Amino acid sequence: MPVIVMASPKGGVGKSTCAVLLASEFARIGADVTVLDCDPNKSLTRWASHGLPGGVTLKSEIGRSEIVPTIRSADGDGKIVIVDLEGVASQLVSRAISQADLVIVPMQPTALDAEIGSEALALVREEEEALGRLIRHAVVLTKTSAAVKSRVQKELEGQLSGAGIDVIEPSLVARAAFSELFAYGGDLTAMMNDPEMVTGGKVDKALANAQAFTEAVYERLK
Amino acid sequence: MSGSNRLAGLKARPKGTTVEEVRRVDEVGEARGFLDRTPRKKPGRKPSPRTHQLHPKVFPEVGVAIAEEAEKLGITQGQLIEQMWEMYRKAY
Repeated sequence: MPVIVMASPKGGVGKSTCAVLLASEFARIGADVTVLDCDPNKSLTRWASHGLPGGVTLKSEIGRSEIVPTIRSADGDGKIVIVDLEGVASQLVSRAISQADLVIVPMQPTALDAEIGSEALALVREEEEALGRLIRHAVVLTKTSAAVKSRVQKELEGQLSGAGIDVIEPSLVARAAFSELFAYGGDLTAMMNDPEMVTGGKVDKALANAQAFTEAVYERLK
Repeated sequence: MSGSNRLAGLKARPKGTTVEEVRRVDEVGEARGFLDRTPRKKPGRKPSPRTHQLHPKVFPEVGVAIAEEAEKLGITQGQLIEQMWEMYRKAY
C-alpha cells in the first residue's frame, strides 16, 4: 500500500492538516491507515489525544534513524502510511521522501511559501536522480479563500504548472473546521454529526473539500 | 469516494532501503541544506550525585594506603570510604 509524505521545510503551511484529512478520509472508506507523527510540535499526537477515527493508528516520536524502518514495517502491514514531517530542512525529511509513493508539498499562496516549498520539490527531483526512480510529487495550495481566487494564487498556480509541477485540485480552503479538528479530535463526519461541537464554520463545506482533496490524491496513487 | 474495493487499486512501488541508498539520500539532502538536526545530548560526563565533601586528616601512611587500595579496586577514595562505612554499619 502507498506511502504518502507531507513535506515542506516551512512550518505552518498545512502539512498536519493535510495528513489528518487524508488519514480520516481514507479510513472512512475502509483503509487501515498508519500516521507517523515526525513533527516535534506533535500536532498529530495532540489530535489523536482527543480521539482517533476508527481505522487510524498513530506512531509518534520517530526520529531520523527510525524513519526508514518504521515506514517499512508499517507499509509491510498492508496499510496506507501517511507521514507528517517537521517544518525544517533535515535528514529526517530527505529520508522520508526517499520512501514515498507520493510526496505532497502543501503551500499557502504566498511568495514566501512558494520559495521555501520549492526547496522540497527540488530535493525530490534530486533524490529521483540519485535513486534512479521516479518519486511522484504534487503541490496542494492551502488556506485559500473560499470566495475568490486571489491574484497571487492565480499567478502561483500558473508558475507551478508552467514548471511542470503537478498541482492538486481542489486547494484546501481556509476553514475553521480544519483547525477545530485538532481541538476535538476525530474526523469531520463526527464533527458534523455532533451538535455539541461548535466550529463557527461550515463543516459540510469543509467535509466536501476534504473529500474532493482525498479523491484527487487517490487518483495520483492508482 | 466510497467503497473499500477501490483501495485494492492503490499501488506502492518498491523502494530501496539499503545502507548505500540511505547514504546517497543523505548526501543529496545535505547538499541542499537538509542536515541531521537530531538534538544532541549535552556533552561531557554527568555530574556526580556525590556532593558532600569530607576533610579528614589522617597519618600519611594511612592516607597512602587508602589511595592505593582505591586504585587497586578501581574506585574513587570516596567510594572506598562509602564501602567502609557500610561495613562499619553492618558490624555495629
